[in-house]
Parts: sequence; C-alpha cells; structure tokens
Amino acid sequence: MPYLEIHDLTVSYEKNQPTLERFSLNVEQGELLSLLGPSGCGKTTTLRGIAGFIRPDAGRIVINGRDYTHLPPNQRDIGLVFQSYALFPHLTVFNNVAFGLRMRRIPKKEIYSRVANALKMVGLEAFADRRPAQLSGGQQQRVALARATVIEPQVLLLDEPLSNLDAGLRVTMRQEIRRLQQQLGITTLYVTHDQVEAMTISDRVVVMNQGEIEQMGTPENIFSAPETVFVAEFMGFDNHFNAAVESVGDSKLTATWGGAPIQLRWHSRFGSPRPGARAEIFFRADNASLVAGTEASGLAGQVILHTFHGNELQYLVDTEVGEFSIMQDSDSERFEPGAAVTVQPHTQKWIAIIEETAARRQRKE
Amino acid sequence: MPMVSRWMYISLVILYSFLLGPFIIIFMASFGANATMAFPPQGFTLDWFANVFETSQFIDSFWISLQLALLSTIVSLVMGMPVAYALTRFQFAASGLVETVFSAPILVPGLVIGFAMLNFFVLLGDMHVMTGLFIGHTAILFPYSVRVISASLRNLDPYVEDAAVSLGANRLRGFLLVVLPNMQAGIAAAFVLGFITSFNNVPVSLFLSGPGVTTLPVSMLSYLEYYFDPTIAALSTLLVIFTVVLVQTAERVLGLSQFV
Repeated sequence: MPYLEIHDLTVSYEKNQPTLERFSLNVEQGELLSLLGPSGCGKTTTLRGIAGFIRPDAGRIVINGRDYTHLPPNQRDIGLVFQSYALFPHLTVFNNVAFGLRMRRIPKKEIYSRVANALKMVGLEAFADRRPAQLSGGQQQRVALARATVIEPQVLLLDEPLSNLDAGLRVTMRQEIRRLQQQLGITTLYVTHDQVEAMTISDRVVVMNQGEIEQMGTPENIFSAPETVFVAEFMGFDNHFNAAVESVGDSKLTATWGGAPIQLRWHSRFGSPRPGARAEIFFRADNASLVAGTEASGLAGQVILHTFHGNELQYLVDTEVGEFSIMQDSDSERFEPGAAVTVQPHTQKWIAIIEETAARRQRKE
Repeated sequence: MPMVSRWMYISLVILYSFLLGPFIIIFMASFGANATMAFPPQGFTLDWFANVFETSQFIDSFWISLQLALLSTIVSLVMGMPVAYALTRFQFAASGLVETVFSAPILVPGLVIGFAMLNFFVLLGDMHVMTGLFIGHTAILFPYSVRVISASLRNLDPYVEDAAVSLGANRLRGFLLVVLPNMQAGIAAAFVLGFITSFNNVPVSLFLSGPGVTTLPVSMLSYLEYYFDPTIAALSTLLVIFTVVLVQTAERVLGLSQFV
C-alpha cells in the first residue's frame, strides 16, 4: 500500500479554472519522488495541498492510512522546506529547530538532545547560537532542513529548496539532502523545475505539465525514454523532426534518414501506429556524428556555425529535414561553416513519439 | 570627487544653518535677561525657565498633551496593526483603495481636518473636549501607524507564518510567536513617531481645544498673543531637548531610521 496517496485532487484559485484537476499520485514509504515541471504546472499547488495550506475543491489526501484531506495544516505531521527557507529571523538556530518540538510539548531535555542531534546531522552544531541573518545561504538551507526533519514528520515536502543557491553549492546541497533523506528513511516529495536536480536526487520523477502528469518513472527512464513531446523537449532532446512511419514492429518502427531506413524505439499512448502515420523523432545533440563530405551513408547537410564548449564543439547543421544542433568531441575532425557534412544517427538513443493531438483531444472530452 | 564633496559640504552647511539657525537663536534668547525676546541676548538668567514651571497654563496643558499623545498613539497602533497586516499579507480587490483612504489624513491639510472635526464633533455633536481631541489625534496618527508597521512587515518573509503552522502552531500562535516579535521594532518606531506627531500638533488641536482643556502647543500660541517675554523660548528649548532625547533613545535602542 502506498504511504502517501493523492486521489482525484482538484484545486482552483479562480472559479472554473482548476490548477489541478482530478490529480492522482502515490508515493511509496521512504521514497524520494520529484515533481518536475515548468512554473505554473501545478507542482507547488500539489505540495501546498498536501501541507494543508490550500483547501481542495475535491479529492482526498491520505498519509499512512489516515485521511488528511480536512485536517488543519498545524495538525498534519508534515515537514516543510520553503524556497526562501522562511527561518524565524528573531530566533537563534537552536530555537528555530526547537520550534516544532516546543509546539508538540516535548520535555526540555529531549528537545535539547534532539535539536543537538539534528544540528549535528546537518553539520551546524557550532552555529546553534547564531541568528539566521548571520548564516550563509547554504547554512540557512541546512537549518531549514533540520527544522523540518527534527519533528520526525510522516512526510517531508521540499519546495524548490535549492533555487536560491549558487550553482556549486546546489550540487553539494542536493547530495546532502539525498544523504539525509536516506539516513532518516523519510518519505519525501521534492518540487523542482530543474531536470538535472530531479534526475540526480530522486528515486522516481513525475513530469508535470498544466496540472497533469506527463510521465512518471525512474530518472533513467525519463531521461532516455520520454513518452510525450513535452517530456522529450523538457528533458533536453534538442533536435526533432517530423517523419512518416514506414513500418511498425513490436518495439521498433522504421523511418527514413537520408534515403536509408532507420529503426527507432517508439512510444505512443494511442495504440500501435499505422504505416503512413506521422511521428515526431527526437535526439540529443550528442547522439549523432558528423563525417566529411556527402558520400557516406546518412543525411547530407551543411555546417552553418560552430561554437566552442571546452571538451566539445557544437555545430549547427542545415539539412533537408531541418536544422540540427550536434555536439562533437573537440579532438575530432573540425568543420568550418559552409562545409558539406553527413549526419550519421546513433539510432539506439533516438526516440519516435506518436502524438495524435486529435485523439488526445477526444480523450479529454 | 574633491569638487563634488566640497559642494556637498557647502550645501550641507547651508541646509543645516537654515534648519538649526532659528533654534540656536531661540536657545540663546531663552537665557537673555531682557524682558522681551531679543537677539543677541543681553545678560544671563534662568528666570524664564523658572517661569515656565510657574505658569499653570503650561503645566496643565503639558499633562493634557502627554495624556493625549500616549492615548491616541496607543489606540492608533492597536487599530493600525491589523490594517497593516491585512494590507501586506492579503491581496484583495480594493486593497489599493483602502491604502489610499487610510493615508488620506496625511494628505489633507491639518487645518481642514481640524475644521471638519470642529463642525461635526463640537458644533453638531456637542462632544466632550477631551474626547474630540482624542478622536482627532487618533485619526491623524492612524496612517503613520499603518505605514510604519507595514514597512516592518514587508521586511518579513511572508512564509514564516506558514512555516510556524507546518511545525504545529495554530494561526494565532504563529502570529504571536513569529510575526509579532518581528513587528516589535516597527511598532516601537510607530509609537515614537506617533507620540511626537501628536505632541507637536497645532492645527487639529487648535480647533478642538475648549475652555480649560488645551494642548501645550496651543497654549504656547495663545501665550504668545499676550506676552513676548523669553518664557516661550525657554519652553521651546525644553521641548526640543525632550524630543531629541526621545528620538535619540529610540534610534539607539530600535534603529528607528530603518522604518521612517
């Protein structure tokens, strides 16, 4: 049985314009699940709904078998970490962390040892007497984590916890969060708009768009096998083109690339595609190679420009099916703008997505 | 750079001599031995200071001003706090309008407010003089309370309340334990500002004072109509010292300048 269940949750800020409509999601015990999506996709709304700060129009939230739907937020056993950290500026680090325990009327001695322990877990035992304003961003983040976990909540919710930190610190902090989460074995929901963050930290990732789940799966699954056009674009498949399906097998379909057939993994939510249907084919910039001239097999094209990226060179190549961005090792042969090249596909990494928008629209109605 | 700073220096000297010059004259005149105010003063005496404390009109009106300032400041704070909280925490349809209406007493000239209140409270309402003064002062202080407390609330992350609630505090405890402590400096600043504004107010008090009940600035004004001895200068000197001490203490203790 899942630990955290969301059943058909509907939330609207304005009448008849639900941000979430019949949204359902299950989270297993001890799992770290990310809600990934652009701003306005409903991920923060979901989080605030679970925390109890938003009253849902319909639906149910169940945690560990207990119905949370109508429980006031202060009676829910939930740890919350805010994007702005929301530390109490007038209290010391110790008193910030102790706040939740004091609300629970835990004896003084126990508060002392639990706060000391929580501060030790985040490496801030030497900072107990400081005020939040005297701490760096990363340290404030750690205090927020300690404050949310010291109450041993049923569920930990993190709302874009790293977006106010600089890039280097973000990498350290996300390892830190993951380590803490696994040590405590706490069921965690992590909201982010950063796909790398979601990939590196999660057991499972839920990609959301306009209040709906686009795809749910392991980071590997989401990264290598997007099921919808939205997920493919969001996960950094920079290149795509539209092609006709020649023939269809169980796991691969055949399309044409530079006059030769290519076999690609495919995904469709609307049953097996028929030959002649249109597929959107996606590939990442580093999943194709360039060779000089137009004699080799592959799709002929012309280099428009190249940009230097340290270990790699990025080429923009114009072909008859569109412009593609292609990354090559900077040690490999260089091509100047105007050079004729052939684009050879690494088809095992490519993916064809059949998205019959008409069929999709019908399904919604 | 040297040019800029020299010009700035000169402008500062000019500015401050305009601001402080009159006070320095009053200050020196209050020690003069002449029977009328004169500058430069001749001789030296503390008689005028003694005279301040012997004039019952001043002593009585000082107590009235003090009570009035304390009472109206406290009431305007109590009323201003929820308004400031609502304006900074909630977006509602008329929040812009509400803000404008609440700041109206700052924008409308004091004489107009005073005259309007004279009409309604005293002439039509036959209100007790002290009650009228109290209502008038509370009304002019109210927008200051709202503004200063709003400023202190805007410096506070709005999510701290949610954080307190998620940790188990109900809304009221969240407010009392987290929001209120962070409003303290703003409330104190609003208190000092309100107190001084009320204590020094002339236009509203002028209309609402009545027989036997008058504020210190108004009684100073009427004293000036009959006498021109340096007693007023001595009293002014005392009041300036009183105000400077009050503001300085507030600045030291609370960092008043953050909010005003």
